Amino acid sequence: MEIAERLGTRRIAIIGNPNVGKSSIFNQLTGLNQKIGNYPGMTVDKMVGYFHKGEQRFELIDLPGTYSLLPKSEDEVIAHKVLNGQGEEKPDAALVILDACNLERSLLLGTQVMDLGIPIAFVINMKDLAEKRGLSIKTFALYQAFGVPLVMTDARNNEGLEEVKSLFTDDKFVVGKTFHKPDSPELLEQVQEKFGFETPYQAFQQLIFSSFDPTLAKDKKVWLEEKANAFHFDPEEQQTKETTERYKKIDALLEKSVLSGVNKPKEFHGKLDAIFLHPVWGYLTFLGIMLLIFQAIFAWAEAPMDLIDGTFAFLSSWVVETLPPGVFTDLLAEGIITGIGGVVIFIPQIALLFGFLAFLEDTGYFSRVVFLMDRIMRPFGLHGKSVVPLISGMACAIPGIMASRNISNSKERLITILVTPWMSCSARLPVYIILIGLTVPDEAWMGINLQAIALLVMYLFGTVFTLLGALALKFIIKTKEKSFLMADLPIYRMPRWQTVLLTMFNKSKIFVLEAGKVILAISIVLWVLASYGPSGRMEAVEAEKMAMLEKATDSEKDEIRNIYASKELESSYIGILGKSIEPAIRPLGYDWKIGIALLTSFAAREVFVATVATIYSVGEDVEDELTIREKLAKQVHADTGEKVFNRATGFSLMVFYALAMQCMSTVAVVYRETKSWKWPILQTIFMTIIAYLGALATYQIFS
Amino acid sequence: MTAAGLKNNSVHEISSIANSNLLVRMMEMGVLPGKKISLLKKAPFNGPMAFIIDGNILALRVEEADLIHLKAE
Repeated sequence: MEIAERLGTRRIAIIGNPNVGKSSIFNQLTGLNQKIGNYPGMTVDKMVGYFHKGEQRFELIDLPGTYSLLPKSEDEVIAHKVLNGQGEEKPDAALVILDACNLERSLLLGTQVMDLGIPIAFVINMKDLAEKRGLSIKTFALYQAFGVPLVMTDARNNEGLEEVKSLFTDDKFVVGKTFHKPDSPELLEQVQEKFGFETPYQAFQQLIFSSFDPTLAKDKKVWLEEKANAFHFDPEEQQTKETTERYKKIDALLEKSVLSGVNKPKEFHGKLDAIFLHPVWGYLTFLGIMLLIFQAIFAWAEAPMDLIDGTFAFLSSWVVETLPPGVFTDLLAEGIITGIGGVVIFIPQIALLFGFLAFLEDTGYFSRVVFLMDRIMRPFGLHGKSVVPLISGMACAIPGIMASRNISNSKERLITILVTPWMSCSARLPVYIILIGLTVPDEAWMGINLQAIALLVMYLFGTVFTLLGALALKFIIKTKEKSFLMADLPIYRMPRWQTVLLTMFNKSKIFVLEAGKVILAISIVLWVLASYGPSGRMEAVEAEKMAMLEKATDSEKDEIRNIYASKELESSYIGILGKSIEPAIRPLGYDWKIGIALLTSFAAREVFVATVATIYSVGEDVEDELTIREKLAKQVHADTGEKVFNRATGFSLMVFYALAMQCMSTVAVVYRETKSWKWPILQTIFMTIIAYLGALATYQIFS
Repeated sequence: MTAAGLKNNSVHEISSIANSNLLVRMMEMGVLPGKKISLLKKAPFNGPMAFIIDGNILALRVEEADLIHLKAE
């Protein structure tokens, strides 16, 4: 049945320049009927949407926004592969979105797609802005020149979308006239034959893309290279020539078909830019906006996160009470439900950050930030676009790393992804608060609370390491890509709430579906390690506990449960592991109990607090950090009688948590964003080593 | 003179763009010989420059702006 459905479905690719309203048209046609997939070997997401009218079904492929079909980044490679059916199923037709105010630039891409021989139709979007500028576009003259249908739209205001739909339903897509003939026809003919292409321009594309496409078979690559050499085909030179010639023809054509009538210069929203790009006000505004976003992810997310936390805790205890006791119930209640809860808990932060980002992007403000921050980020091997991931990393690294998506230079993007976890995220806060409370006196120094200063120092520590890490990586990671900044600063517009909401929804969905799998898997493994031990040992502890409980009075029972919770954890696999790493962590000032907490808190940093509470028999249900703190302050080493959480150990632990990965969700999201295990694994290893050395140095200095 | 030396409130015409691996990228973003170019804003400490070309605002780093050659007055 599915195959039958597929056969009746027409597949249409949508392509256009960035900021042309392409996604807006895609969203309005498909709404929530969207799917996110992968292009094999690529990091860019594949966006596919569906709509139907009566019996007719359409699959829309939203190609990345590009200025041309010349190779520069993954975006163009994907457009080339899809439109030419290379390693991707070729669509039946292509819808090209043009900018009414920038027809010259849009038609460079438009005529390139046309020359691929695929049936196409043009949509000229943002006609409202063109009218404001006094441009009048003679669509019939354009239609005569290209021989393909043209529809004028104002997608933001839903104008012309019915006509766009009728392009699909009445199948008005046609193959246009050949616009530009590339050089070396003989060479192109051979390539055409080898790859089964319909037009010489497809062959031209295959030649210029051959060294950029990571998925192209080696033998084909070699063959194309040899042919290019034999015919003295220089791809760089050919691209310049093609671009120049296309522009010449487009200009000649537009002279006849676009009347610039009044020729009013574009209204520049100059007043806004006078503030937003100002050397002082610009930065202050940006700081204000960032504080608001930071506050939102940090504070506004708290209520929904507590709600999620509570719901999953309730579900978990409900399962325990309802189902018969046994391994399966335990796995479901403590492994799976808790694991899923650990994934869902991130949704409020992700949705909020991406809601704000989509809002800023849609208004046109976002590219102004890049303009402002580029100079500051550059010395560290980062890009103006790196600033948003880093700042959101102060709330949570997960949405921060996901927001690195739009950094086009792969080296700058990778550095951003690798260093963002060093920004002091909100999960470190409970760890810091407990440890600062234990080791820093609650006194004032020059009128400022010492504990507050310590917390601030930890935040600065994270930021300094982030920048130093980026600086170091700048010299380590090699790339042939040259860093550059070439950004359109679009005019300011009102944001579309549909776009904002869809982005929030899609980003949360990507996280849950892709990173969620890894997080769930790791949390089940961690649960098994913490709940089971070598045969006999756990059962012995359990039996002892039962015996003790029977004899005990009601008032003693809680105390006994706490003691045995600690003993059970001690005799689990993770407890044994914690003990076995003790020699390695001794020089950092940690005992085996802290070792166990280090292992369990690989799930997430804040787990440290809960584990320490359990292992020191403080009790599981302690919500009050003060109680935990008081009990922990009393802990002494059995052999020496020294305080466990003395200043050196406390500082050493804080440095460790500032620098170590200790967050499986970050590992999962780095895997998802780099599409390989290489980077998250290297990142985890290096962060752990650096954290170890940092903690070692701290302990030795303060003890 | 190149676009890197542009001052506020003066409009110049682009004469040519120096050959580099950014040439095609510039052309496809509408930086073409014959177009009028003017400076909108400069970011502090020799940061990026925002130009107005053909009614669009384009942000470039100084070394990229230096590739755009202007016609003498």
